[in-house]
This record gives sequence, C-alpha cells and structure tokens, in this order.
Amino acid sequence: MKLDLTYVVIRAHARIANLLNHQQTQRLTESKDVQEFLDRLAETSYGRISIEGAEVVPIALEKVFYEKFLERVLKIIDLTPQVMGDVLKTYYYLRLETLNLKRILRGKFSGLPPTKILESLVPISPYHIRSYNELAELGSVNEVVQHLKGTPYSGVISKLNLYEKHEAIWPLELELSHIFASSIFEVVKSLPGKDRPVIHDIVEFEADIENFLVAVKQRQGPKTEVKLEEIFPTTYGIPLDKLREVMETKDLRKVIQSLGESYVKVLSPIYEGDVALIRTGLRRHKYEVITHARASNEFGFYVIMAYLIYSEIEKDNLVGIGWGKAQGIPSQDLMKYVVIHR
Amino acid sequence: MSGVRPTKGYLMEMKRRIGFIERGCEFLKLKRDHLAKELSASLDILKGRRKLLLNNLKEAYDALTAAYISLGPTEVDSQASSVKSALQLEVLPRSVMGVRYPYVKIISKPQITTDLDITLARAAEKIYEILEELVQLAEYEARAERIADELGKTNRKVNALENTVIPNYKQVIKFIGSKLDEESLEELVRMKRIGGALASRRK
Repeated sequence: MKLDLTYVVIRAHARIANLLNHQQTQRLTESKDVQEFLDRLAETSYGRISIEGAEVVPIALEKVFYEKFLERVLKIIDLTPQVMGDVLKTYYYLRLETLNLKRILRGKFSGLPPTKILESLVPISPYHIRSYNELAELGSVNEVVQHLKGTPYSGVISKLNLYEKHEAIWPLELELSHIFASSIFEVVKSLPGKDRPVIHDIVEFEADIENFLVAVKQRQGPKTEVKLEEIFPTTYGIPLDKLREVMETKDLRKVIQSLGESYVKVLSPIYEGDVALIRTGLRRHKYEVITHARASNEFGFYVIMAYLIYSEIEKDNLVGIGWGKAQGIPSQDLMKYVVIHR
Repeated sequence: MSGVRPTKGYLMEMKRRIGFIERGCEFLKLKRDHLAKELSASLDILKGRRKLLLNNLKEAYDALTAAYISLGPTEVDSQASSVKSALQLEVLPRSVMGVRYPYVKIISKPQITTDLDITLARAAEKIYEILEELVQLAEYEARAERIADELGKTNRKVNALENTVIPNYKQVIKFIGSKLDEESLEELVRMKRIGGALASRRK
C-alpha cells in the first residue's frame, strides 16, 4: 500500500526512535553470555528471540537479525511512494541478492551440497532471479553463471573466461558488485536531484573502501599478472593509479593522506593493522553521511533512508555482539566494532 | 605359608625366580629413569613452545574475531568454503622405550586463494603461520601424556616388586631355608644318636 511521503517520513521518524539506543547497545555487549544477551534483548523492541535447537548459535542469531531487518525494509518499502520504493528495493534487495549469488558461486566452486549452500543464503525471496533452489541444484559454477542469462546479472557471463583463466571466482564476484553499483546509479536517476547525492556518496565510498582493501591484500600476496582493470572494474574516489600506488608503495600512510579527510578517517586503523575497524569506520561514515543529510531536511526521503541505514547498522552490531557473546569475548573488545546510534 | 613346599628343589626354583624378578626390577628402574628424563625434556620443550605459541595464537584468534565481527559468521563460513585444498595429515606411530605416541605428518597445507576478504585472509595467514607449530605441539603433548602415563605404570610396577613381591619371595626363601636347616639338624641329631647306639651295642 503506497502512502504519501510525509506520512512515511513520520513513520520512519517514529521507528528511528524505537531503535536501540547507546545504553541498550552497551548493556547488550556487557552480557556475560548468549543467554543473558537474549534476556536483555527481550527487554527491547526485539522481544524474546528463540533459537532453540539451533546447530550453530551465532549463525541462527544472524538469521534472526537478518529477518528482523528485512521485515523493517519490507514494511517501509511497502509504504514508500513508487519511485523511492524502487530505489530502496534496488539498494537493499539487489545488494542482498548479489550477496546470495556470490555465496552460491562459492558453494559451487568448493563443491558444497545444495542444502549447505541454501542454508548460507540471506533469507530473502528471489528478486531478479527465478529461484535460489534452482541455482543451488546446478552442477557447476559455469552452469550457474549461464543460468543468469536474461537477468540483470547476465554481465557475469562475460567474466567466465577470467574465471577459467585464474581458476578463481573473484572476477565473477567483482562483476556482481559492479552490476549492483551500476544498477543502483541507474535507478537513482529517477529520484529528484536533491535526493541523489547521498546514495551516490554511500555506494561510491563503500566501493572505494572495498577496492582499497583489495589493493592492500594484493600488496601482501604473491605478485600476480592480473590487469588492474580486471581487479578493479569500477572505481570512484580512489582512481586506478592510486590503487596501483597502494599496491606498490612502501609508505601506505602517504597514499592514504593524499586521499582526503573522509578516507583518512575510515582507513587510518590500517596503520595498526586492524582492517576490521575499517569496516566499522565505513559503517560509521554511512551513519554520519545519512544523519547529516537527514538533518538538512527532516521531512524528506533521507529520513526513510536513514531509518533503513540505522537498522542495517543495528543488525550488523547485533550479529557481531551475538557472535562475540557465543565466543565469550569481553565487552571492551566488542565495543570498538560497534557503531552506536545516538 | 600355605602352598610352600619346604624342599631343596623348591628353594632352588624360588631363588631362580627371585633372581629373575630382581633383574626385571632393575630393568624397570632403568626404564623409569629413562622415561623420567624423557618426560622432563618433553615438558621443558612443551613449556617453551606453548609460551611462544600462545602469543601467536592470541594474534590469530584476534584476527579471526575481527573477521567474524566484520563479515558475520555466515559470510565467513561461505568464504572459508572457497578454500579448496584442506589441511591433510597422516598420523603415524612412533615409540620411545616401548611407549607408542602419535607422530603427525603434514601431507598438504590449505592453499589460501585470493578470493578471501582481507580480514579473513589475514586471519588465515596468521593461522597458516602457526599451523605447523600447532601440530607439533599437539604431538609433543600427546607424547608427554603417554610417557607420563607409562612412567606412572612403571613406577607402580617397581614399587610393587620392591615392596611386596621381592620381600614375599625373600620371606618364602628364608622360611624354606630355615625349615631345611631344621630338618638337616634333626637329621644330624638322629644320625648321631643312631651312631651312638650302634657304638654302644658294639661294645
């Protein structure tokens, strides 16, 4: 049921107020084990979560948090006016579907049984493809890729030669990421001009950081004879020559400093070797960008976008905390990876 | 002393047996000393290696934690499954002083492909670095455990021989010896008496 934008924005405002606050998140990280974590979570808007009979507790929790998050996305998309709803759908569903396709390709590459592959997927219904079951049942990576013919993912077929050449699935994964980015930019064109920059900023910045991390990994690995354009089919704020520098320089700090303030802020944990904090920084960047955009217009599209981005950050936090509690990791070690909604 | 036959034949059998048991006991003592030496050497190595490994393990575990928190457990599992070749080990038996312990031979190590996310690749590298050490440590632990087990058994055997079996045999030998002495004394007295009686009759 599509409703008026103002109404949806007001609903989004109300839901933002229901998200976990600083105190609640902190309390969750301080739980001594999973049971206490679940008990404390039951006191929040999440209510009592049951993971009885779960084989692997953190994976069961991740699935539950994904489902809760997707429920929120679905409810908001259902209400949002057509054009904005389409953008949000592409942003979330296409992203999660490409993630599922990557997991299916990995599963086929390593010869996992279809049931295992299906268990690893994000619990969404197929978006552009017919069925995940059908893909998981196919015999090889080649067959899965060929099966994508006629869908928006058909561009992956052109990367099959690279897959065969390198005997690795990264060319296919990179192409899927590229398809996501170009699709979202295409659909964003339908939004009013004032609503576009933030989505561009978020998607491009995320792609830049992922490119940077791949370049850092290439520095450490054995030198391969792969063309840069093959590894980085899409670049935005960090161009190919900078990525080459990242791969070749001895002084990474100098290259990072040359990238600009927002990149320095997110990438600086690499000096201490903590790459995971870069992803936390990326989430924090998204949080700050959308919060800033939302502040500029409290009754526009960005409020809806902010609610969904905050929800996704909350989901990532809870997945991390749930895993940490199952492993008995102390709260101070977990807190540094948590982005708290203020 | 039921079942003990106070005969010379039995005494000789007992003496043969105790000689054999005492030699066995000496061998067991030698084995015990050797095992104790082996155990103390193994424990020294274990302590040193474990200390070194604990630091490396902490680093590897931190890297793995970072990967799990950064990517989520399902994504980590999914990416990890794309590492095609797994660690292959062969466990062979080895022996020290007759104590069998497992010797682990690494046949092939997993190949870390470039498909992994950087956080996971770092964790994998750290674990890869300590994999051999970890396997060796497990081998040393198993060896120390088996040697300690065998040392305990050998010690119990030596104690049982020294404190129970050998003293019992000695007691039996002593008993038979005194019985035989008694009998030969009686025999001598009897002979003397007979000799005396025969002499007085001749007079």
